[in-house]
Amino acid sequence: MQEPVHERLQISPFMAAFIVMAMQFGIGVLGFQRIVAKEAGYDAWISIIGIGLLVHFIVWIMYRICEAVDGDILTANVYVFGKAIGNTINSFFIIYFISACVAVLGGLVEVIRTWMFPNLSPLLFGSMYLILGIYIVYGGFRTVTGISFFGLVIPSYLLFSFAYAIRYGDFTNLLPILDHSPLELLKSAYSMSFTVLGFGVLLFFHPFIKNPEKSKKWVHGGIFLITLIYAILAIISFAYFPPALLNKSIWATLEMWKIVRLPIIERFEYLGIANWSLIILPNVAICLWTASRVIKHVFHLRQRKGVWFVAAICLLLILIVDSRERMDMFTSFHGKIGFGLAFVYTPLLYLAIIIAKKVKKK
Amino acid sequence: MKKYFFIPLLLFTVLLAGCINKKIIDDVNITTGIGIDKEGEQYLGSAMIPVYNPDKSIENFIFTAKGTVVRDLMFQMQQTSSQPIVGGSLDVTLFDETVAREGIPHVLDVFLRDPSVGARVHLAVVDGKAKDIFEGKYGDRGNGRYLAELIESNYKTGNLPLTNLHQFLHDYYQKGKDPVLPYLRQTRPDLVNIAGLALFKGEKVVDVLDENKLFYFKLMVDYYSEGALKIKDEHGESFIKSIHSTYNFKVKNRNPYKFSVSLEVDGMLTEHTGKSLEKGEIKRIEKQMEKQIKKECLALLERFQENKIDPVGIGHFIKTQTRNFDIKKWEESYQNASFDVDAKVKIVEVGVIE
Repeated sequence: MQEPVHERLQISPFMAAFIVMAMQFGIGVLGFQRIVAKEAGYDAWISIIGIGLLVHFIVWIMYRICEAVDGDILTANVYVFGKAIGNTINSFFIIYFISACVAVLGGLVEVIRTWMFPNLSPLLFGSMYLILGIYIVYGGFRTVTGISFFGLVIPSYLLFSFAYAIRYGDFTNLLPILDHSPLELLKSAYSMSFTVLGFGVLLFFHPFIKNPEKSKKWVHGGIFLITLIYAILAIISFAYFPPALLNKSIWATLEMWKIVRLPIIERFEYLGIANWSLIILPNVAICLWTASRVIKHVFHLRQRKGVWFVAAICLLLILIVDSRERMDMFTSFHGKIGFGLAFVYTPLLYLAIIIAKKVKKK
Repeated sequence: MKKYFFIPLLLFTVLLAGCINKKIIDDVNITTGIGIDKEGEQYLGSAMIPVYNPDKSIENFIFTAKGTVVRDLMFQMQQTSSQPIVGGSLDVTLFDETVAREGIPHVLDVFLRDPSVGARVHLAVVDGKAKDIFEGKYGDRGNGRYLAELIESNYKTGNLPLTNLHQFLHDYYQKGKDPVLPYLRQTRPDLVNIAGLALFKGEKVVDVLDENKLFYFKLMVDYYSEGALKIKDEHGESFIKSIHSTYNFKVKNRNPYKFSVSLEVDGMLTEHTGKSLEKGEIKRIEKQMEKQIKKECLALLERFQENKIDPVGIGHFIKTQTRNFDIKKWEESYQNASFDVDAKVKIVEVGVIE
């Protein structure tokens, strides 16, 4: 049981979906096709739907965890493992969310440097972006939620731009369906899980939802929508690229914009990438907010101070991972930890809570 | 005090946003055409830049350089240019036949690696030198636009299949399919003609299809083929424009491979040299056209087999129909495959006179 959040600071159940969606829809969208197709080839869209179903299940567990301890995951950890071990695990989340922030923002810097401005300074861009993130966090959780909403709704028109690629696609590329073994499909689902990560943030902001029971249908609906977008985007990419070419494309989503030509804009990628920095904004803001909130809980440091500390470490890491190779290493490392936390640790924690409840009752 | 804490920071973000390398459109040379020729052992590269005169006419300026690597050519051209040369608005890239017959892998890499080049760039193989084509003066919108629109309009309403950079790369990387490019020839100093289709084996041109075969080829690779065809029978000549066409491949037998290709064309009679369209004349024209399509398409497929190329994508088709497809085995058995071509022509309109 933790101190309830004042109603003045809470968000409506409907908005909870946007935070989860904003976290799921980040920099990974730009290049997930190549990674999922590595193992399962052009059957990978099945894996994407499969991992989407798994996410629904994990989210269901997350709600059960929060309901069981009547609080967030920080309370749950302390409840199960006691104060010392629980808080040690909790402080680990600070590192996790800092690295999530770096993976996303570093990815954006990399994309801008490759596609638009090769001499963009990561220090300047990163610090400006993080200051904007801090500014949002200063506005409180409701502001973070608002940014998540706009960060999804405003750039949503970009989805229409992929219609251009459909015209040039050859959908027979997907045939024959199910030409891969179940093991290959599982491996592909595993690599897709890195892209859909981020829904775990639900465990942290659960106490901020005004009526959690009502938010369930929205959150599940949002996850369904994101899975659908990923699957459709994958299918369009598979039609547009032959396998050997997709294997070469680091950012397949961006490359599909090369075919778009509007009378007023010769190169659509520039518009798309500029818009992408709006999609990334909620990711950064939510990461900063969550990390600083954990700091507040564990170290009793005010969130307004903690967020500066978090942002400083983020900036430092962005400066360190400034090449393709390091970035690749960092994101795959971060993805593995994220996979472990979301798909392994969360179910285990739920089991532990059930056991702990029974033990404590006696 | 605390309230105004963010103001200087936000001010910085506004002011520092200008600290980036910008390229203003008036201060760069926008290449609209790149040509790669072979001269001796080296490449002769030419980059065409439109020059906008005050009287609104457009002239073309051509930079040239010699070298062995395409990027090096660009770099050398840069050294002779007072303003940076950029490729964000590239319209066409031409290769002379010698280069195309030797293979164009270097150039492919440049296009793939450079994010600023669009996927709609038109590629073409030329009879003669690409530089000579650039040196002509066509239309009043600049040579780059002229060449791009020539290819585009012939794709949309003529007999040319889709051949932009994306389609070329798609077919090049697709297993069981070989790319094609339009084959251009300068016929007058102010006109360029689509003389046919260059057929690739991997990255090399091995055969050139004549212009009068394009209609049949497009029937087999494109759904909404809007080409046109001349039909001759005992009552005179007719000109048929295709409005809509479909193709359908089927595997009839797997060992040895036997395919059935059924083509359906809805056409419109646009000219007839006989006195008038007699009763049954339409039927006869339809039959004659079906016969012609069957004969020519079969001849094309056999010609492709002979050259060991597959621009229609039969290999890709059989892959979509086979689990655990082995491309090596297919390539061996492709030689022994046989085809059954079936055509169905329907003339749905004859115009406003009988």
